[in-house]
Amino acid sequence: MAIDPEQTPRAKNGRAPDVMTPGGWVSMREYPENEEVDFVIVGTGAGGGTLACKLAEAGFSVVAFDAGPYFRPLEDFASDETEQNKLYWTDDRIVDGDHPIKMGSNNSGKAVGGSTVHFAMVSLRFRPEHFKTRTALGYGVDWPIDWQDMWNYYDEAERALHISGPVSYPWGPKRGRYPLRAHPLNAAAEYLARGAEALGIKWTETPLATLSAPIGQSAPCVYRGFCVTGCSTNAKQSVLVAWLPRALKAGAEIRDLAMVGRIETRNRRCTGVHYQREGEWHFQKARNVVVAGYAVETPRLLLNSANEEFPDGLANSSGLVGKNLMVQLNQAAWGQVDDEIRSYKGPPSLAISEHWNYDDDKDFHGGWSYMSQGPLPITWAKSLAGGRNLWGQALIDEMARNNHSVGLKMVGEVLPYERNRVTLADDTDQYGLKIPRITFSLGPNEEAMIDHATDFMDKSLEAVGARERWKEMDDTCHLGGTARMGFDAKTSVVDADCRSWDIPNLWVCDGSVFPTVGGVNPSLTIQAIACRTGDRIKQMSARGEL
Amino acid sequence: MLGLSVLADSGLEHYRGSFRNPAMVFPLLSSSMAIGFNGRRLEKPLSDEKTGPLVSHLTSAATGVVGLGFHLYNVMKRPGGLTFTNLFYAAPAGAPFALALAGALGSTADRLARGKDTLGPIHLTSGRAIGLLTSFGLIGTVAEATLLHFRGAYHDPFMWLPVALPPVTAASLARDVVDDQPRQITTSLLAATAAMGLIGVGFHAYGVARNMGGWKNWRQNLLVGPPTPAPPAFTGLAIAGLGALMLMKKRRKARG
Ligand SMILES: Cc1cc2nc3c(=O)[nH]c(=O)nc-3n(C[C@H](O)[C@H](O)[C@H](O)COP(=O)(O)OP(=O)(O)OC[C@H]3O[C@@H](n4cnc5c(N)ncnc54)[C@H](O)[C@@H]3O)c2cc1C
Ligand code: SF4
Repeated sequence: MAIDPEQTPRAKNGRAPDVMTPGGWVSMREYPENEEVDFVIVGTGAGGGTLACKLAEAGFSVVAFDAGPYFRPLEDFASDETEQNKLYWTDDRIVDGDHPIKMGSNNSGKAVGGSTVHFAMVSLRFRPEHFKTRTALGYGVDWPIDWQDMWNYYDEAERALHISGPVSYPWGPKRGRYPLRAHPLNAAAEYLARGAEALGIKWTETPLATLSAPIGQSAPCVYRGFCVTGCSTNAKQSVLVAWLPRALKAGAEIRDLAMVGRIETRNRRCTGVHYQREGEWHFQKARNVVVAGYAVETPRLLLNSANEEFPDGLANSSGLVGKNLMVQLNQAAWGQVDDEIRSYKGPPSLAISEHWNYDDDKDFHGGWSYMSQGPLPITWAKSLAGGRNLWGQALIDEMARNNHSVGLKMVGEVLPYERNRVTLADDTDQYGLKIPRITFSLGPNEEAMIDHATDFMDKSLEAVGARERWKEMDDTCHLGGTARMGFDAKTSVVDADCRSWDIPNLWVCDGSVFPTVGGVNPSLTIQAIACRTGDRIKQMSARGEL
Repeated sequence: MLGLSVLADSGLEHYRGSFRNPAMVFPLLSSSMAIGFNGRRLEKPLSDEKTGPLVSHLTSAATGVVGLGFHLYNVMKRPGGLTFTNLFYAAPAGAPFALALAGALGSTADRLARGKDTLGPIHLTSGRAIGLLTSFGLIGTVAEATLLHFRGAYHDPFMWLPVALPPVTAASLARDVVDDQPRQITTSLLAATAAMGLIGVGFHAYGVARNMGGWKNWRQNLLVGPPTPAPPAFTGLAIAGLGALMLMKKRRKARG
């Protein structure tokens, strides 16, 4: 009988699942626990999975842990929203603050490959000025990395993911040609395009991490639109499909269903990690530890690892671990049109306008972009129930008109505030670890941006004849910022190379290192940072600086 | 050959478009008609049937030209107008052109068979007119292959072949026409181009297989994968080119 990947680890006994063939395996190198590996990486998502590949290809011994299962999309993913809940991190968490964040499907994954297994594939570069918001635009904080440096690593990430994008991108400095051509627009995307043209701003086809031509064993996208519940064709270039097969080939070991609970230190250096797998605690020795659990689990692990040497948690001499939590604003405008839209066809965000990331004539700080939308039925029902208080027969009636609904959704920059933070609660989870408390409130700047964006998107829909328009005001996405990178040990947790200021063999490489989040989706930037970190570690190792 | 390729390709593509516009059946009718008449001409080259083929060739040509208009309109009415995405995914502007060409070549063949050596002001027996037409045709077909292979991001290096070879063939043929001197190299190039068109079907079939579900899912993948009937358009044109060369040689011999 086939083993249940959610109950029993698959990556064992010298082999790991081959994501490209149903029931298939690829060979995997394994390291004994008492062997001190060069790198232990906690988390195999956008940050951790990419770095695992880079470090293994650079010749380091790598063991990457993930608390989630190792899926084979071709056989394990159903075209069913409820079944695919298995991809989300739904462990106990406490949320509070004035605007408690809804955790789960919209912001965190628990699977080998991380949240990219069910992400929406939108793959954008930051506006260059967004790396230097303090000096260039007068708000937030500067990144310690230069945009030109990032431009090269964006190139690398885009090539690795075979991003399909427009032949020329209308905003920002020149970038190389996207590896693959853009996908055709669906009707929802055409409505964005016509609206933008009516309002006199630019739009373009969204650069997406899904194939528009066959590459290797991956078939091109079939436009069925189940992307945010996990793509069952492998057209989507998630970390699971794009980076991890390379990592395995280069000799990395991946341990699935392995939850890291504590990082051990001695003489102010990491010595390895304690992790739970198959109901038992183990210890893996390591020369370096990289934490890549995303913006909630990363600070949680650092705080949960407090010991006598580091009573406030690891890497926390600045007191900033867990602070400056940012989400991105994800409000939307919707309407009804005569045309049949069927917006769920194809990837959800085929067209985009970044106009308001590049136009600074606004009475608030920060940028935002907006994209066409394609919600699946249950998600749509939740939007209607939550956003319009529809219930019972009224909800059913409205659902029946779904084929004529069209919408636009923003991705907006939230500023870093220390009061928005991740701390530890006293309750414990199924592993016996303290659960995170996530405190979040919007500020007046965010409220102003939401008003600006929802009004503009509403105008765009009005301009193309949408009626019965309404605004979905309560939604957030994408986390960042709880272990920020910066210029010194007082004002940041890690340096530009993602290396902690306090513990030289402890690194953080995921969305939590973002000092600011900009007005675009973060995963390409996370992967570009991981590529950069991989190169930097290789250089430092060659110079004996590790 | 060109007619067959057009029939199959436009049949497939217009079926994909569910024949949303009634005019979308026209190219099917007219290319079928062209195949019918041109095919019969093969059997009875000297039949004195006139009006049927003439109507067919004229319809081909007209449908092609009108189709070009329709397809261009389809591109322009989409958001963004003349953008790469619209050229990639809207109605292909170059395709109806092949039908117009099939019409022109068909009527030329007809006139020749009936011993007439002019089509309006153009001299046919020299082979030069056909040669020139074929050169143009090759360039047009290359333009379409270039655009659509660019859409596929040249993910397979062989996708460069139909972009690289036919222009050389067309240039060589054009040079022969201008100099009025058929060269061996042109014959070889035309033969290679003809073969490439046939091999292309195999490559496109492989491309279809690389879509989700492969050939098991043929009903869908024939429509979304690379069009299997398209590459033989090159073969059809190359054969016309070979014919032109033959005429040129024959005439030179006659002249001694
Ligand atoms: C529905 C949805 C749509 C999205 N769409 C887009 C999009 O279109 N474009 C875009 O750029 N971004 C998108 N994102 C965001 C993007 O997926 C994330 O920003 C990105 O994956 C974060 O990368 P990360 O490496 O920080 O964390 P993740 O990718 O979440 O990886 C973290 C991994 O660490 C594991 N982990 C955590 N703690 C532990 C531990 N203690 N022990 C072992 N393992 C652990 C988790 O299981 C997880 O697999 C989307 C996200 C969601 C949820
Ligand atoms: S629409 Fe494309 S990327 Fe999305 S799930 Fe389907 S095949 Fe995958």
